[in-house]
Amino acid sequence: MSRPQLWRLAPWTRAPLLGLRQPAAVLAVLVTSAILACAVASAPLFLSSARSAALQQQLAQRCDEVARPQTGVSSSLVDEQLQPLDGGDGSTRPAADDQFLQAWADAGMDPEPVLATAWIGSSGPFPYSAAPVSRTDGSLLSTPISLFHRPAALEHVEVVERGDGPGVWVPQTLAEQEGLAVGDVLTFGSQSAPVAGIHRDLAVANADDPYWCDYRLLFSNETSANVPPPAMLLTTDEPTFYRLATAAVGYATRLQQVPVDAASLSVSDARDQLDTQQRIVAASGLPLPSRGSPEPVVAVPNDRLPDVLDRATLIESGLRGPVVPVAVAGALLALVLVAAAGSFWADRRATEVRLLAARGVGPAPLAGKAALELALPALAGAALGWAASRLLIAGLGPADDLDPSATTAAAWAGVAAFVVGLGAASAVAGLRARGTAERPLGAAPRWPARVPWELALLLGAAWCWLLLQTRDAVVSVGFVAQVNGLLVAFPLLAIAGTAIVLGRLVTALLPRLRRWAGRRSPAVFLAANRLTAARLATGTLLVAVTLPVAVLGYTATLTASSQTTLDAKVGVQIGAAAAATTVTRFEVTPAIEAAGTYLVRYDGSAEAADDAGRTDVQVLAVDPDDFADTAFWDDSFADRSLPELLAALTGPEVDGRLPIVAAGLPAGDPNLRLGSTSVPAEVTATARVLPGRRSDDPVVLVDAGRLPEITRNAGAAPAAELWTNDDLGAGVDALADAGAQNIRLLTPEGVQESANFLGITWTFGYLSALAVFVGVIAVGGLLLYLEARSRTRVAGYVMARRLGLTRAAHLRSLLVELIGVAVAGVLLGGVLAAGAVALVYRRLDVDQVRPPTPLLDVPWPALGLSAVVVVVVAGLAALYAQRAADRADPATVLRQEA
Amino acid sequence: MSPRLQPAGGFAATGLVKRFSRGAETVTALAGVDLRVDAGEFVALVGPSGSGKSTLLALLCGWETADEGHLDYLGPLADRPPVELGWRELALVPQALGLVADLSLADNVLLPARLRGTTADAGPRARALLADFGIDHLADRYPHQASLGEQQRAAVARALLLRPAVLLADEPTAHQDRGHADRLLDAVTAAAREGSAVLIATHDEIAWARADRVLSMRDGVLTDGAPS
Repeated sequence: MSRPQLWRLAPWTRAPLLGLRQPAAVLAVLVTSAILACAVASAPLFLSSARSAALQQQLAQRCDEVARPQTGVSSSLVDEQLQPLDGGDGSTRPAADDQFLQAWADAGMDPEPVLATAWIGSSGPFPYSAAPVSRTDGSLLSTPISLFHRPAALEHVEVVERGDGPGVWVPQTLAEQEGLAVGDVLTFGSQSAPVAGIHRDLAVANADDPYWCDYRLLFSNETSANVPPPAMLLTTDEPTFYRLATAAVGYATRLQQVPVDAASLSVSDARDQLDTQQRIVAASGLPLPSRGSPEPVVAVPNDRLPDVLDRATLIESGLRGPVVPVAVAGALLALVLVAAAGSFWADRRATEVRLLAARGVGPAPLAGKAALELALPALAGAALGWAASRLLIAGLGPADDLDPSATTAAAWAGVAAFVVGLGAASAVAGLRARGTAERPLGAAPRWPARVPWELALLLGAAWCWLLLQTRDAVVSVGFVAQVNGLLVAFPLLAIAGTAIVLGRLVTALLPRLRRWAGRRSPAVFLAANRLTAARLATGTLLVAVTLPVAVLGYTATLTASSQTTLDAKVGVQIGAAAAATTVTRFEVTPAIEAAGTYLVRYDGSAEAADDAGRTDVQVLAVDPDDFADTAFWDDSFADRSLPELLAALTGPEVDGRLPIVAAGLPAGDPNLRLGSTSVPAEVTATARVLPGRRSDDPVVLVDAGRLPEITRNAGAAPAAELWTNDDLGAGVDALADAGAQNIRLLTPEGVQESANFLGITWTFGYLSALAVFVGVIAVGGLLLYLEARSRTRVAGYVMARRLGLTRAAHLRSLLVELIGVAVAGVLLGGVLAAGAVALVYRRLDVDQVRPPTPLLDVPWPALGLSAVVVVVVAGLAALYAQRAADRADPATVLRQEA
Repeated sequence: MSPRLQPAGGFAATGLVKRFSRGAETVTALAGVDLRVDAGEFVALVGPSGSGKSTLLALLCGWETADEGHLDYLGPLADRPPVELGWRELALVPQALGLVADLSLADNVLLPARLRGTTADAGPRARALLADFGIDHLADRYPHQASLGEQQRAAVARALLLRPAVLLADEPTAHQDRGHADRLLDAVTAAAREGSAVLIATHDEIAWARADRVLSMRDGVLTDGAPS
């Protein structure tokens, strides 16, 4: 009689349904598959999210127009005979403009026009032969002007006087200078238009209006140029613009901009829009503007968005190095958990599996049976994991605008997680099932369990460390700081390897713990015996707690330290939270002194006493009484506090030398030169870093009240500065009221250019997420640990109750067991994190140009909270196990097979 | 080692009825059982599988409650529900043995004394029981590292450790060879002689012969004498 094919027998044909009869195994595979899929799917989603966020954050710092796909043309509006093209009376739009508008409409987009002319007027440099602008009486305007039109522009002005009908709106200053009033008619060559309204100057009234952000150079003298931009007249409508521009200057730039929401723009969306822009521009046949060879007609596409996109992609590529290996490591960890779930299935199906094994069924058919039983939960788990990763990245990632390609990649990653996870779970289930049936009682662990595989992790960590000795930990590519992947791999490998080694050592000591517990209370005795009896499970649980604690402690500390260091660098550069600086002269008023600390910065030089040459220095003349109240300071900057350093400025002069505090000066008392003025000085205190350092030059603090008068023509380039930790606006107003002009603001946002460091921030953010993820794995492992041992635990509990064990003592034993492991894991994890941080943080200098060197900032509240969470989870797990034991029916439990 | 006096015990059950629902069907596991076992008496309970022996033992130790009838423990144990009786008053060898998987065989045997805080006092007796039952060399092994028969002997040793007033055992010799079965029966018989009320469910005909009385159970009905 031929033997029937196994897969046609009931244990295999009914396997998918049989599997559902083991809800604990189904749940284990479902949850672990979800964790695996989440781990592998999150990497492409995170990278896409980071790319979108890098794009969005860069765009947020720029004018809205930078994000807008755009076409346009800069061209003459008249022919060679200066006759208007396309009518010239404003009744028809130029053909090129119409073509672009139509092309955008064909692409399903609705652009807005922006129309602007160059100079028009009777004076100033005329790039084109422009007709003068005259009043009704024929007199010419003395001020050059330009024309501008944009939809809804008049909703973004502060009206001084309003008239009716089409025409031009003029700024208040121009109206006052030229004696213009609403209703006056201005003539632009052959065309005329009335003054339809007067508005306050945009540079004053609308300086912060994002509507004008991209056009500020047209009306505001941002760079304090000798020749300010012309007064900008706003036309009330497009036809008026075309009519006047054609008649007056015959040349204009006309843009078609497609409004987009920069706050939710993804890279792929932006690329699509740029592709459309490129297609439309290419179809126009117009040349692009090129330096040195001006064309009479050029296309004006958005050429700023590609740069921003490139930068976003650069930031993302910097993340790829650390993120991909970390995701792979997380996936491998999750795969171990899936395999453990397979083993759990074998335990749950032990009776049937033993029977099949006794009938000669090998591990492969058993694995096939496991695969059939676990396929549905594994598939559901993979789908859940993919969805979870999508939700997690959308909710917690840098941005929730993901590229479709990333979503697709994540879906494929989920499929791969299903296939690989099911394969691993089935293989382990088959081997475990067969092994369980065949292994003799009391057999020693197989050799793979005795080999210290974790040494390979430590060797990998050592290799990364050696490589790091010859490479920068932080590199800057295109002004974008990126973390070297080795800096991520080294501590993770070291933490993982050491955690396992320590776990192995601790579990080796468990028999001693058991002997010690023999003289303790029943709760401690039972807990110690449970931990000792399941040494492998205990060690695994210990490592599972240690790893996330260590990784979280490491990443959270490095993230906080990086941010603190970055803040300190910005603080040192500005001098305080914000500063205003001006080179104009004015008398210091009480309002200025009330707004912050006032000081004067001089470009000087220092000559060492031994005549070793001169060194450029920045000399800050400060008020020692209030400087420390405002100046940025970290105790690592000097061995003494800032007030102590400042007190050194107030000491007596020695041999006529002015006391100074110096950072970066060569040893010895220098002779300072502030322009042509010589100031002998004595270094009474030194610091490693002083606030207000804005270059590589040493910084010197002097008491402003004791500094000799430095005349204006001494050539010391004095700059008045107001440092404040409060509202800078009040300080600026005070300076302006005192007569200061051309006030330059120094703010953290301006100094930091935060996109430079996004890669670093997100790298450690991702690692922190990984730590939380590993924590989730640990919780999953904890539940598996409890569930896998629940049968013996419940049976033991039921009988122990009969033997005299109280419920409270049993609960205490569970608490001791699980919280003991949790506390040990927290302690070991804390030690590992501290070691890893100590090895790495000094190398994590996000900006090596600016001081100070990396600072250490341990986020104790967050780490403490994490430790509490670990202990609370362990306590809840103990309550869960107690509840499961309480609900057991003794008669049923003790009738089961021994 | 001198035996200590046991609290005089025993129990009396009258008209015990226990029914189980199995879907729409109601199964009567015990159909009015009258039973009395006095201190110093060794009673063997025999019957085929599924006859209700284990259900009766579960009722007697308080893990199940009877649908009808009365159960009274006697003497010093009177007026106390069985679940409140300590291991020294009511010891048990369940069918599944109930060894604590995380404790060695020696620790399992000693556990009743440990939970009472008398480990030191009970230590010699525990070692003696392990030796008597031939498992002293396995004292440090976990239950899963011992055979089923060895585990069963450890379970009986644990039951006997505190010289209980009442000993209930479900198939205590089921996994033993003849020699070990006899040793166990010797110990159980000795317990009865020392004053314990002993009721064991067994298929072992040798045990029937060692018992003071034999009761037969079939379909939930208890009758005197061994089955024919």
